[in-house]
Formats: sequence, structure tokens, C-alpha cells
Amino acid sequence: MKWLSTCKETTELASRAMDERLSFVDRVAMRLHLAICENCARFARQLQDMRRLFQSETTADDDAPGLAPAARQRIATELQNKLDD
Amino acid sequence: MNKLDAHSWLNDHGDYLFRVARRQLHTDELAEDAVQETLLAALSAQTRYAGDASPRSWLTGILKHKIVDLIRRQVREVEIPRDADGEEAVDRLFQQDGHWAEPLRPWGNPQTEAELSQLRRVLDDCADRLKPVMAQVFSLREVAGMETEEICKELNITPTNCWVLLHRARLFMRQCMELNGFAKAGVA
Repeated sequence: MKWLSTCKETTELASRAMDERLSFVDRVAMRLHLAICENCARFARQLQDMRRLFQSETTADDDAPGLAPAARQRIATELQNKLDD
Repeated sequence: MNKLDAHSWLNDHGDYLFRVARRQLHTDELAEDAVQETLLAALSAQTRYAGDASPRSWLTGILKHKIVDLIRRQVREVEIPRDADGEEAVDRLFQQDGHWAEPLRPWGNPQTEAELSQLRRVLDDCADRLKPVMAQVFSLREVAGMETEEICKELNITPTNCWVLLHRARLFMRQCMELNGFAKAGVA
């Protein structure tokens, strides 16, 4: 195993670290790289920022568009068909 | 609960269910399908609705399953690991030796609610621009907050494919945010 991972490999580790606990070896490899690489450290921070933004959004998205009138009509018809069965 | 409730579900919760579905499915058509399937399933199941949850959270629970069902159908039509375009797009972000091709610029530091909601809108637009399946797996993870293990199991894809999709999605999302003006000099 190489003692230092590349930026590309480090982004893979940083991405996976958002989803599960990395193995000890992977964790050390990632931290070593992040300690000396400004770009990758920024990448890792931006993944965290992205998650925070997505999580905060779910409660406050009432200004997003709702159902289009045609779709609403279509769904109402389907419901009525089922009620009439 | 009587049968007329089905129409009031649509009136009272249709927009809400659509917005939740739209953010995870990324097209209007699929989100509309999800709302329709949810309300039809709710109608069939309404005797099982015990009334201990609010109608909205009961319907949202059904919607979650319908969203996963719809994504599962999409996944069957796409060959994830052999996506050469995606591989090439990732390679373009890096030099041959694995270093970044371009330095990463920091995102601004939005403070006001207006700046934040602008940032969230760009984030949603960027997610819409990811390829189907990649966008959907990404949103199951980041928007719906599902565990990757659960996502793999529900969609019947291998963990490795899951990592590849999420890694690519995150690289492209970051790049899209930068291209859309969320990079300012001097702020972390």
C-alpha cells in the first residue's frame, strides 16, 4: 500500500466517510492527506456544508412549486375511479 | 374516517407530498406518479389508518415507500458500474497523477435567510442536473437521510456501486455549486 493517497483517492475516502465509519487504515490515510492538502480539506468541508443545507431545507421549502393543475385533476380522477369501484 | 377524505387528502396535502417527492425524484412526472400512488394506496389502506398519526405524517410514511419503489424501477433500467461517461467526467476533474485539475474555490459564507434560501435553490437545481439514479440515490442519502446500507438493500445494488454513485454525485454537486457562483474569495 502506498503511504500517501492521491487527491482523487482522498475524495473517495472523504465521500465514504460521510456514509460509514472508515477502517483505521483508510482513516489515517485520509487524515494525513487532508492535513497537507488545502483543496481536499475544502472538499471534505463542503460535503459537510452540503449535508447541513439539505437537512435544514426539508422543513422550509414551502415556496417550491406544488402540484400542477393538470396533474391534480388527473389524480382526482384516479381517486374518484377507485372510489366508484 | 369516511371515503370522501381521499379528496381532502389531495387538497390539503397534495402540494406538500409533491414537494417532498420532487426533491427526491427530480422530475415532475415521477413526483406526480408518487403522489398518485400514495393516495391510491392510502385509499386501499384507510381501514388500517388508526388515526394516531396526523393524516399528513401517515401519508408521508406511505410516500416514502412509493418513492423507493419508483427509484427501484429506474435502477433496473440503468447499468450503474459501466457508466463510462460518468467515469470520464470524474477523470476530467483530476490530473493524470490524481491531483485536482483546478484548485477548489471556497463557498461563500451565507448568513441571512435570503442568502441561505438562494443557496438551497442552487443546491436543488444542481441535484436536478445529476443523471437519474445518481440524483435519486444521492437524495435518498442526503435529503431523506437514509443509511447507505438500507439504500443498497432497498434498491438491490451493491455497496460498491452505491459508493461510486455517491462519490460521483458529490464531486459533480460541488463543481456545480462552484460554477453557479457559490465561490467567493477569502471566505471558508
